[in-house]
Amino acid sequence: MKRFLVFLVLILTFVVSAYAFKVIMVTDTGGLGDKSFNDGTWAGIQMAVEEFGLEANVIQSYEQADYIPNLTKAAQEADVVFAVGFMMTDALFKVAPQFPGTYFVGIDITPPEGSEYPNVMTFTFKENEAAFLVGYVAAAMTKSNIVGFIGGIPIPPVERFRYGFEAGVKTYSELHDKDVQILKGYTMVFDDPKKGKDLAMSQFAEGADIIFHASGACGNGVIEAAKEKFTALAGTSDLAGLIDYYWKNGTGLFAMGVDADQDYLAPGAVLASAMKRVDMAAYYGVRDAFEGTFEGGMKVLGLKEKGVGISPMKYTKGLVPNSVIAELYYIINLVNEGILSIPITQEELDSFSVPEIEFPF
Amino acid sequence: MTWIISILNIFTNPLFYKITLTAATPFIFAALGGVFSEITGVVNIALEGIMLLGAFVSIVFTYLTGSPWIGVLMAMISGLGMAWLHAWASIKWYGNQIVSGTALILLAQGLTGFLMEPIFGKPGQTDFIGRIKDIKIPFVKNIPFVGEIIGELNPLVFIAIGLVFFSWWFLYKTTMGLRMRAVGENPEAADTLGINVYKIRYFGVLMSGILASLGGAFLSVGELGQFKELMTGGRGFIALAAMILGNWNPIGAFWACLLFGAAEAMNNQLQSSPILQISASTKPLFNMLPFIVTIIVVSGFIGRTRAPAADGVPYIKD
Repeated sequence: MKRFLVFLVLILTFVVSAYAFKVIMVTDTGGLGDKSFNDGTWAGIQMAVEEFGLEANVIQSYEQADYIPNLTKAAQEADVVFAVGFMMTDALFKVAPQFPGTYFVGIDITPPEGSEYPNVMTFTFKENEAAFLVGYVAAAMTKSNIVGFIGGIPIPPVERFRYGFEAGVKTYSELHDKDVQILKGYTMVFDDPKKGKDLAMSQFAEGADIIFHASGACGNGVIEAAKEKFTALAGTSDLAGLIDYYWKNGTGLFAMGVDADQDYLAPGAVLASAMKRVDMAAYYGVRDAFEGTFEGGMKVLGLKEKGVGISPMKYTKGLVPNSVIAELYYIINLVNEGILSIPITQEELDSFSVPEIEFPF
Repeated sequence: MTWIISILNIFTNPLFYKITLTAATPFIFAALGGVFSEITGVVNIALEGIMLLGAFVSIVFTYLTGSPWIGVLMAMISGLGMAWLHAWASIKWYGNQIVSGTALILLAQGLTGFLMEPIFGKPGQTDFIGRIKDIKIPFVKNIPFVGEIIGELNPLVFIAIGLVFFSWWFLYKTTMGLRMRAVGENPEAADTLGINVYKIRYFGVLMSGILASLGGAFLSVGELGQFKELMTGGRGFIALAAMILGNWNPIGAFWACLLFGAAEAMNNQLQSSPILQISASTKPLFNMLPFIVTIIVVSGFIGRTRAPAADGVPYIKD
């Protein structure tokens, strides 16, 4: 009898596990812990897992050659497979057509021409909209009237950050009659913090007082540079000291983070972050697959879909004047309603003219 | 015209010299390490790996003890360990020095990546852990131009410069230095004169480990206060190029390192120049500057530098 019970339980677990809805995420070479795509996607999957009671797993890729075998293995086991990051585009579109019964979700992936499958949903982001907001804040907060932009390699997502940032700075400048100049530079790598720091130091020396970076881990160096300079100026590195200094002297030196909320990396010295809500994309992907509303094709997430945004400025919100915050929310509304469109290409940026915005306050 | 003005502006800007120094510091440490090893006849391309492990170990011990200087000390010990492996394989067992060096680079990359998770709980990169404070020299700081360059710098930069002159004195003015050079030029002759070739070579390689690991520690606890996998970004190899360009001489290597540092600083300053009107799409090209300088200078110097005669040749005693 006992043996029969054990047998029954075993059978039951097999049956249940075979029918449980399973999500497998294949990381890119960055892996979990990158505080960007991979972590963000995983957080979104976890959100869905808790809400719907699913099962989720990760397969880590260590080199690019792992992508195809890992995706294949995941597709054999799971109902939903996640491919994370621009670099996995080719692998995803090689594997997905072979498993029409499995759903695939690609994060930050644009399908190549002519390869649209009903079981593949990909997400990209309107980085320019997030960057527009931080650009607007930067232009409002700069005292030297010079702000900086540091990019990694000028791939499309990095450039979209730049277009939005430039447009944001320009918009604030014209609405408030301020002449703000932008220094721009590129590190040409994503993983050398020292290069980011040196470039940031150069921009600070040329008079920039706020630097926005879209340069991956080089940005750690940018943030460290801001922290070092601001600390030297204020004579203290703790948050209260920095804020006191800012209120007494009306100036500070700041970095601006990217992708995730990087404000905590150097409290007080990171003014705000342009966030890309990879987690929301992952959540939508799992939810649609689970609820049976999955549609193949590319989804572009912007402010309206809460796919991008500005960080809540946990440490520095007190420094930004209320009027600027109010204007920011007004602008978010204008973008959501489609009244204000933010340049997403170099041509659009060149021909971007600041619309007449009448703030109702 | 704006080009000339902006370049002149850069040369008169003290920050250009300061970034040159800090960008050159990791090269200086590693290149000195290369000199110590190769002057005794052992090629050490493991510098890159030794730096990476040094960067990692210094952050780990800063994290554990709260003191970046203990981190630096432990980095030196880790460098000693790596160099000992290299020496053991290539001196004791006459192994191919390039293969052993490459293996050590791979070992350092794998080891640091693997240990991130158990120590810091996540792969990739650490948070800001803590770094060595810059030191202010009060009376120098007030000198107008010079003060802005060296008035407030990371102590490791001064240590690097001090080590350059120490190394030159050690290698060219002491008996030990003479013996090291003799072993690198003609180990058989040195051996017949009663010099223990193996011991001298061990000494050279171990010194190179200590020096190169300081370069790694400078990158992590010196400049950034955090570790990122593969953060050395090929600096160990650039240091090797600097060593060759400097003709295996500490002072020469120092100038070569400054040249590479200056190219990097020039790149940053030109990109940040407010008067140069360059479109953002051409700015990434400036990052080629250090490599262009390297190619021009190295090709100009080819044939004029000479490696120690027994460099890279294992010594087998009959």
